[in-house]
Parts: sequence; C-alpha cells; structure tokens
Amino acid sequence: MRSQSLKPVARAAAFTPPRAGILQRMRKYAPIYLFLLPGTAIFLLWTIYPLVDAFVMSFYHWNLNGPSTYIGLANYQQALADPIFIQAMKNVVLYALISVPGQLIFGLAAALLLDSAVRFRAFFRTLFYLPVVTSWVVVSLLFTYLYNSQAGAINYILYDVLHVIPGYIFWLGDENVALPAIAFMNIWKGIGWTAVIFLAGLQTIPADVYEAAKVDGAGRIQRFRAITIPLLAPTFMFLVVMLVIGAFNTFIQVFIMTQGGPNHSTETVLTYMYTNAFANVDFGYGAAISYLFTLLMFVISMAEIRILRRRSQY
Amino acid sequence: MRRSIIILLATLMAVVLPASSMAATRTAKSSLSGTVTFWNTYSPDEKAALEQKVIPAFEAKYPNIHINNLTLPYDGTFTKLITSIAGGIGPDVVRSDIIWVPQLANINGLEPLDKYSWFPSLRKAVFSGPLRTTFYHGHYYGLPLDTNTRVMFYSKSMFQAAGISRAPATTTEMLADCAKIKALGSGKYCYSEGGFGAWSIMPWVWSFGGNLTNKTFSKATGYLNGKGTLAAVNFLLGMYHKGYLSPNILGGGIGTWDGFGKNYAMILDGPWTVPFLFKNQYPSSDYGISLVPKGPGGSRSVVGGEDIVMLKGSRNKPATAAFMQFMLSKQAQTMMGKVGQMPVLNALAHSSAFPAYYPIFQQQLKTAKPRTPSPEWSKIDDTFTSQLSTVFHGNASVKDALNSAARTVDGLLH
Repeated sequence: MRSQSLKPVARAAAFTPPRAGILQRMRKYAPIYLFLLPGTAIFLLWTIYPLVDAFVMSFYHWNLNGPSTYIGLANYQQALADPIFIQAMKNVVLYALISVPGQLIFGLAAALLLDSAVRFRAFFRTLFYLPVVTSWVVVSLLFTYLYNSQAGAINYILYDVLHVIPGYIFWLGDENVALPAIAFMNIWKGIGWTAVIFLAGLQTIPADVYEAAKVDGAGRIQRFRAITIPLLAPTFMFLVVMLVIGAFNTFIQVFIMTQGGPNHSTETVLTYMYTNAFANVDFGYGAAISYLFTLLMFVISMAEIRILRRRSQY
Repeated sequence: MRRSIIILLATLMAVVLPASSMAATRTAKSSLSGTVTFWNTYSPDEKAALEQKVIPAFEAKYPNIHINNLTLPYDGTFTKLITSIAGGIGPDVVRSDIIWVPQLANINGLEPLDKYSWFPSLRKAVFSGPLRTTFYHGHYYGLPLDTNTRVMFYSKSMFQAAGISRAPATTTEMLADCAKIKALGSGKYCYSEGGFGAWSIMPWVWSFGGNLTNKTFSKATGYLNGKGTLAAVNFLLGMYHKGYLSPNILGGGIGTWDGFGKNYAMILDGPWTVPFLFKNQYPSSDYGISLVPKGPGGSRSVVGGEDIVMLKGSRNKPATAAFMQFMLSKQAQTMMGKVGQMPVLNALAHSSAFPAYYPIFQQQLKTAKPRTPSPEWSKIDDTFTSQLSTVFHGNASVKDALNSAARTVDGLLH
C-alpha cells in the first residue's frame, strides 16, 4: 500500500529535469550560503589555516626564511623533557588552583549580595563589573605599582600601617610569591564576571521553591545548601570550565608584570611558547608546545564536564 | 704651435673630464629612485633629528628616493621584524640591536654586505670593535651605526651627604663608600641594578677577570664558572646581603632611574641617560659620571649599540645601499651624534662637535667587551639570568648555579 502511494511521486521525480531541481535549490539556498560565506571564509583563513599550518610546523625545524627540515616528533620529545615547559605546566595548574576557587567563592558571594534587596544595587553591580571591562594591560600596570616591593601601596599598608608582615614582601621578585600575587590580581579582576553569571543562575531558581522550603522550616543556610547550591550546579559547571581555560591561557598579565620571572616561577605555557617562537625564533618548538597544551586543555575540559555532569543531576 | 695645441688639449681635458665625471655621478644618483623603508627604535629626540635633519639631507642628495621612516618602541620590535620577514613584507633597512644580528643572519633574513664594492671603504672607516658585531659565519651582515657602553652615574648630593668626595675608582673603594651610604638610613642604597641579565652583570664579571665564554665564543665551562665570574657574583651577593645593593635587582622594586639620587647613589647606564633622564626628567639633578670601578680584571663594561642592516627581502637594494652609506657619512653621524647617538667613524673619534660627556664613554669603550654573538643568545642570557636569580633567592650556591649555567651554555654554543 505504501509503495503504491509512493509510486506517482517517484515517477514525477523521475520526469523532473534534474537541472531544474538544482537551480531551484540553488535559488532557495543561495542567499543563506551567501550570508554564511564571509564568516566561513574568515574562519577558514584566520583560524583553521593557522591551526593546520602550526600543526605541520610542529614537525619541522622551521626556518622562517628558507627550506625547513622535517624532524618528526623531535619538538614534542624536546618539550616533554624540557624542565621549563614542565615548570610552566605546573605554574598554570597552581595558578588555576588559586584563581578559580577564589573567583567562584567571591563571585558567588557578590552575586548573593547583589541578588538581595541591598540598597544602591545598580551602583554595586557597576562597581563589581568595572575591573572586568578594564583592559588587562591597564590592570597589570596598576598592580605592578601596587606590588612594588619598595614603594608599593600594598607593602605600605601591610607593613607600615597595619604591621601585619615582618618586612617588605618582594611580591613580583620572590619566586615563591610572584605567581600567587598575579593569581590574586586575577581573582580581583574576575569577581565581577563570575558574579554576573551566578546572578543569572540565581534568577532562574523559582521563588516558590524557596517559599516551600521556608514553610517546611528550612533556615537560610539550609536553603542555601539544599536549594541554591544544587540548582546552581550547571552554572558552576560552566564557570569552572571557562575559568580553568582562562587560567591556563594566562599570558598578558605575566608578560607585562614579570615576563615569566623570577627564574621562570611565573612562566606560563603561553609565555613560554611566545618566547620560543618570537624571541628564540624557534617556531617549530613553539607550535609543538601549543599543540601539547591544546591536548592537555581538551583532556582537562572533558574531564571537568564529565565530573560536574555526574554531580549535577537536578 | 705644437705647444699651444698641447696646452689647449690639456685645458679641454681639465674642464671636460671632471664635468663628465660629475655628470656620470649625477646620472648614477638620479638613476636611484623609489622608496626605502627604514625601521628603527630611536628615542623621541633622536627621531626628531632623523626626520628633521638626516632624512631631508639624504633626500636633497637623492631627490628620487623617498625614505619611509618608522620609529618603533624597542619592546616588540624584534618580534615585529621576524614576523614581517616571514611574511615577506619587511622593511628595506633596519637599525638593529647588535644582539639581534646573529639571529637575523641565522634565519637568512639579512643581506651579506661584503659582496658590495662600497663595503671595503666603509669597513675601514668604522671602529673595528663595533664592526665585529656584524660578523657572522664568515660574512659581514651589516655596519655599525652607533655605539655605546655603560658607565657609572653617581649622585653628588648623596655622596656629599655620606661624606664621599669622589667616585670610587676601584671595587674596594666602592665597598667602603657603600658602607657610608648605607649609614644614610633605610631605603638608601649604594648601588642599583635593573636585573640579572648579561647587560647588567657582565661589566662586574669582566672587571673581576671573569667571562661568559672563551675568546672564540665556543665554550662556557671554565669561564662562566671560572674564578673571576665566581668572585664577581660573590661581590654582588655580598653587596646585596649587606644592604648596599638595592633589592630591585630581584624585580618589582623602584627602577634605577626612578630611584637615582633619592634611593640610589650609583647606577650603571648608557649615554642616552644624559639627554633622556637628566635633561628631560630631572633637569635639576646633580650627577657625576665615572668609569666602572676597577676590579682585578680592570675597569670593564659591555659594548652596546646598533648596526644598520639591509634585509634580504629588500625591494630596492641600490637605493637602500645609498641610504646606508649616507647614514655612515660624517654629515649624518654628526647630526645623530649631537642627540646622543655615539658615532662609529674613526674620523669623528676626537671631534669637538659632540656632547661633553662623550669622552668618558669613549674611554670606557676601549676596554668594553661584547656579549656572545650567537643566534642562541636569548637562551644563553636567560640561563645566566635564571641561575643568578636562584643564587640571590638563596636557592643555590654561587658555585653550583654557575656550574649548572656553564653546562647549559656549553650545549647552546655547540
């Protein structure tokens, strides 16, 4: 029965000149493709082509201005045995361990504050968001002055005014302090952004859920633990993935404030990649570092998504 | 009759030949045309002299050549340069830091100049020390354009407050002076240095008889971890522990220029310090200039400066060559010399046209040494910097750190 009913259609299709169909389809879809074309062309030229080119480059001793030599996996082997690359990897992990929880905790606190019936809410929202829209270059230069070990405001307040530290701290000159100091700056700069995302998450939680819990006798802390935190899980997941990627991609602040020093204690994978490519003119090695880093980022992001998805079954 | 014919012919030759040679020169000059793009990192004063005096003088001489000048900030210029070379859109001619030349030559980015007929005469005309910075793998890839070194700047007011009558001539005298300066109170330091790079530290290493490598720049072991280098690092470390050397050497403190005269009594710096710092920023500052204090290895400093190089990808090599030659003429060297660019011509060595502070730099240059001319220089410098940083942070002994640095640099030199 079904085959019979399809027959006339199939016959009609068989008699339709194919060119007319293509022309019809082209006429139908041409505007769509034309709209897509510029964006696709730019994406292919400026994103996909450099990605492929860098991948090819990573297998060569790349000569900028002449024939390059194919060296197989040598650049990758060199990176995996390079103590500075390993140090840079450890540094970005430490940076993420400090800056991500810091931004999440302070961001959530700020979001809860801004979500409550606080006075001058619009003013506080602007205040928290101001560092986010300020350029990394400006913030980095500002904190370089604040962190100045001999004439900075932070040492002045902590040592000269409050007497809470035994002496001036070399914020950017001490191997043990420089990376956490930059990570704290990142927390300050990132609170506004995380707060805005948390705020959006908080506003999706229905008010009647809180009211029902209140009727059942749940206190503020209980409501926060049993309702707010679980229902914010997808927001947490999004933020953790984004903040970890951001922390691992740290470049501008380190490049401006310490150039990876002292003694590579603030070296990040991106600053090391940049140094190798543009200061040491070793583009093959720089490309290999970037691909190893991409692989690591991919694995970490996938792991984060899996772990957090398992925990956010609400 | 015969005699008069000879006189007539001689007169004709005397008149016609020079005229024809002048015409030939004019034709050669006028046959050069087009645009020459020049990249440099001159300071604002130097840029003004270049654009208002040097380039107009060149364009008056070569009316068909236009110089497209691009003055860039020093930071980032090397990156911009190698990126432009890779993209085939680089400039024609560059005023390059002497340290960049081996790297640029190594990536096949520079035109060897020794194949040009005009090169030998210019080679003879310039100082031999700075000329060596253009030599790489058997070829000259540029010509020195300006030279400099670091000397001691001291604050007369801080010296006076500490009861010091003259600049220290030796490292021993310097230590004695430092004790007096320290007594001025907290926040006052005898000496300030901007970091652990070779540019900062090598004057002390050489003055203590140490070195980074052997003379042929092929081996670091025995030199970088030798007796003299060890003594120099110990000297600086001792100064640091005694509170004579400012902690800004670690990074993130008051800069040498910012603190000079207020926090720091002595700094080492180049000739640009005078027009840039003392005339523009601190006109009232009282300062003196002296040689680097003499150690067991003498009074040594580091050779700095810039070379002028033609890029291999230059689209107008004849006009570029004409511009390079002009930049090394007495006229251009004098114009730039007046704004702080120390000339490199033998003929201008004793010229009275230049600022009064030049002779001390020229005297220091006689014993100054170059850094290792290697395409791996940035890695060598980084190794040196990192190991010294480890020592000053108390994470390694001077001996262990220098042994480790020597081993790494050996690998980079081969």
